[in-house]
Amino acid sequence: MTGSKLDDLFARRLLLVTGKGGVGKTTVSAALARVAAATGKRVLAAEISYTSPPSEEEGVTLTSPLAGALGVPPLVDEPRHVEGHLYAARLSPLAGHLAFLRDTLPVAFLADAAMRSAAVRRFFHAAPTLAELGIVYRLLHLLKETHAGAPRWQLVVCDLPATGHALALAQVPQTLASVLRAGPIHAAAQEGLRLLRDRTQTTCVLVSLHDGLRKLTIDCARVVLNRVPPNPFTPEERAAVMRIVTDRVRTLGARRLPRIDRAEAAYARLARELRLPVSAVQEADDDAVTHVARELGGAA
Amino acid sequence: MRISDSGELPYVAHLLSEKRVVVCCGAGGVGKTTTAAALGLAGAMLGRRTLVLTIDPARRLAEAIGAPEPRGALLPDSTDGRGRARAPVPIPEERLRAAGISGTLATWMVDPSVVFERMVRRLTTDEAQANAILQNRIYRALADLVAGMQEYTAAEALYGFVESGEYDLVVLDTPPSRNALDFLEAPRKLSLFLDERIVGVFLPGSGGGVLRNRARQVAHGVFARIFGEGFFEELQQFLAAFSGMFAAMRSHAESVRTLLKSDASSFVVIASPEPAALAEAVHLERTLTQEMLLPFSGFILNRSWAYTRGLFSPDDLVLPKDASRVDHAALAKLEQLAAAELRLAERDRRLLADLRAKSPGAHAVATPQLDGDIDFAALLLIAESVTVAGSGAEDAVESSRR
Repeated sequence: MTGSKLDDLFARRLLLVTGKGGVGKTTVSAALARVAAATGKRVLAAEISYTSPPSEEEGVTLTSPLAGALGVPPLVDEPRHVEGHLYAARLSPLAGHLAFLRDTLPVAFLADAAMRSAAVRRFFHAAPTLAELGIVYRLLHLLKETHAGAPRWQLVVCDLPATGHALALAQVPQTLASVLRAGPIHAAAQEGLRLLRDRTQTTCVLVSLHDGLRKLTIDCARVVLNRVPPNPFTPEERAAVMRIVTDRVRTLGARRLPRIDRAEAAYARLARELRLPVSAVQEADDDAVTHVARELGGAA
Repeated sequence: MRISDSGELPYVAHLLSEKRVVVCCGAGGVGKTTTAAALGLAGAMLGRRTLVLTIDPARRLAEAIGAPEPRGALLPDSTDGRGRARAPVPIPEERLRAAGISGTLATWMVDPSVVFERMVRRLTTDEAQANAILQNRIYRALADLVAGMQEYTAAEALYGFVESGEYDLVVLDTPPSRNALDFLEAPRKLSLFLDERIVGVFLPGSGGGVLRNRARQVAHGVFARIFGEGFFEELQQFLAAFSGMFAAMRSHAESVRTLLKSDASSFVVIASPEPAALAEAVHLERTLTQEMLLPFSGFILNRSWAYTRGLFSPDDLVLPKDASRVDHAALAKLEQLAAAELRLAERDRRLLADLRAKSPGAHAVATPQLDGDIDFAALLLIAESVTVAGSGAEDAVESSRR
């Protein structure tokens, strides 16, 4: 299948799916990854996972929402096959740190030894920003990986955590590059910045609910309005409802009318003002990835 | 109408009148900030001197790029006109009295740099040491960063305000993050980082045995190589300036933990009816009770449709004899919407029952789905709904369906 209406997004290497908590970022990420993989691209769906403290590495399971959305077991550092051209992995600081040390230190065993040293590991775990840098570094690594001379992952769809940490993540390369004026971390941070800022390679998809978006504060290529309540009424029927129902606050069903109105107004306003594509995903009883994928990808 | 599980005060009212600290946990987007504000208001209704601490990195970013977002009336006075307030701002008493509220309520959006600076000034012995820390480039980067420090400073601010004795009750809205318990880990994580055996490796000078010196050489080698020589020196200066404070900070982190584990504190998990938010809520509850051994008391299911008290069904509407085809069609569609709403109400009541069943002894109450912006009146409504008996919302639609 080719010719998805999301081709503008899928021409990039990295899609960052962002938005406030609870708006359905994970569902949209999983749906985008599925739609992209259905166009024949090799796609990696990734989620960010702050690993547990070094002392508790074993036996601590963090929730893996993206795995849940894709219907696979909890994600691990190494990409695993999901279906067709779709793979999934988690981005953890630890994998990034190890990759970083391996790239930086002259011999691999030194990196492994360094990571085995409690001092180094704890420092990496506890020092602010280094966890985020680890994640960015791991992401760079995955994007640079090749397979038979071509990039192993044509597209990485990354489900960013709720806004707070996503912001930290986006700020990390800049902060580090300014604090560290030279050295390999500086170089890695610069490289991360270049990738994150290159609009031909990276772009954001902002997921929002209709009443949660006043204006855009980030640079993105598309807005997904999630859980838009469907409007079943024709204008005439709507006028009839307003005539028939006098106590609209206490009548079941009629209580939904203000929401429907606000959603329609918000969609019209955003489509007019944002100057970028807005996809509306209708609210369904369940938040199934298949439903969102169908709504986003048109056919397929 | 259902009286609360205990047959006494409903659980939320009980918490708000007995505890000194109520911590709101939950995944992002479940309405934690709104709930924290409503709980604060409910605390004031119960006559207590209440403080609500919130954290809002989105606002921080918005300010940084020069476009503060409108806050509505949720936290009406948390800025003082010059930007972020450096201390809690009380809600005007007239406003509270007008709503029949006898206690007081103040709100503060935790500002990590203010909290950190206060801590540095309190823990350092002289002005010169304080300034050396506050002007260190690494310190400035640390204090400015959104992640990590925010969690730590939230815990720090909470403790400071409880100790000050100015408030009977502090309600904390935890920072939004996927791992919603980061905030609880923050003091421990910081004390891990500040462990002298670890930090000592980076500190210049002698001391320690052969092993320690060896470790120092390795660490210096690794870090000089990856961070660059200049940074390593700066890090050493930072740690040297900070090292005088480590013991005090560690014992402080320990005190925060003791307070949060004590009877004076209570943890409430906020959820919304979405499957992901519910899964997270159950995960949080387990982590709180089984791993962290913290005093968890129950769930609040936000934005739920479970409330159907006083509503009636469109089935009961009678169309006039001369009603048009359009009227009939409109009514039929309205009935479909009503049926969908009732399905949601049933689902949400089931969710409440599930939450109670998953955690024996835990309470679960619902707050109503409110339309439009959350203003002071809406907060009052939520505050009332969580503190009155019967907020289990098991009451059915009054009018019987045909």
